[in-house]
Amino acid sequence: MQFVFEIILNLVGFLVGIVIGILSYVGYKNTGSPTLFRLTIAFLSISIGFGVVGAGFLTESLVIKSGEIEPWVQTLGIGIQTIGYFFIAFSHSIKAFFPKSRYFRTLAIPLFVVPGNSIEHIIRSISFILLIYGTIETILSYMANKKSSTVFVASGLGLLALGEFLGWYSVVFPQSILYYVSISTKIAGLGALFVPVSKVPLTGMKFGGSL
Amino acid sequence: MSIIGDILATTRDEAPDESGASVTYLIRKANVSHVRLSKILEMLVQQGLLEQRSSDRACKYKISDRGREFLQAYRGFREFADNFGLRI
Repeated sequence: MQFVFEIILNLVGFLVGIVIGILSYVGYKNTGSPTLFRLTIAFLSISIGFGVVGAGFLTESLVIKSGEIEPWVQTLGIGIQTIGYFFIAFSHSIKAFFPKSRYFRTLAIPLFVVPGNSIEHIIRSISFILLIYGTIETILSYMANKKSSTVFVASGLGLLALGEFLGWYSVVFPQSILYYVSISTKIAGLGALFVPVSKVPLTGMKFGGSL
Repeated sequence: MSIIGDILATTRDEAPDESGASVTYLIRKANVSHVRLSKILEMLVQQGLLEQRSSDRACKYKISDRGREFLQAYRGFREFADNFGLRI
């Protein structure tokens, strides 16, 4: 059971993602809001992505037992997570189609240019950029609204971005502790995203009707 | 969506009298054109979120029980989206 740590962390990611995804879906069904629909797709994708990687590790440790997860499984899981990050960034891009920050542009463009030797490198770099964009937009929203719970979401997206960045480096330095730090950071990020969501008073509502 | 929330909140919290809020009053509160407000009000009445009360002088609109539930849900999910720095 050498993959126990990965299985547990990916399971936590799966659960946190699915809870936020379901809350978003309930919100979409009640209000018909396109924003909540995009958040539903985002968090269900993130959840499924974690689930695919976790299932890959689980299958490997219980069935295949070759000592290494199939690379395509990890790439597929990360790819599905990237779709989720895209939809978070896309929701923000509705407000401002292109980032206004000149700093972000200078940060983002070289990361696209960095040559990747595999699809996983490219996907991780795209995830990182999308998450950084989402983080910056959320921080800008906080500066406009001064709503403290928005800081948790910004921190969560920032930690997910850091987790992706570390995950990118863990491909360069395999067998190092970086992978574990990467997954732990991403789980901490999802936890931070969950904090404000758990405080939203969603009880006592009649669901089922929609506009 | 925010206009719908504003209209429902106005009919619940700021209606000038028991019979409900008039179109003129809602236009002023929601800051939308008469044509647009009429379409929204028609839709809200069809959905059962508002009750239309006709009198000799004008139509008035009052929030229904379903409208109150929707408004409560809307505020909860608006808070949810706000946390992400988004608007529903």
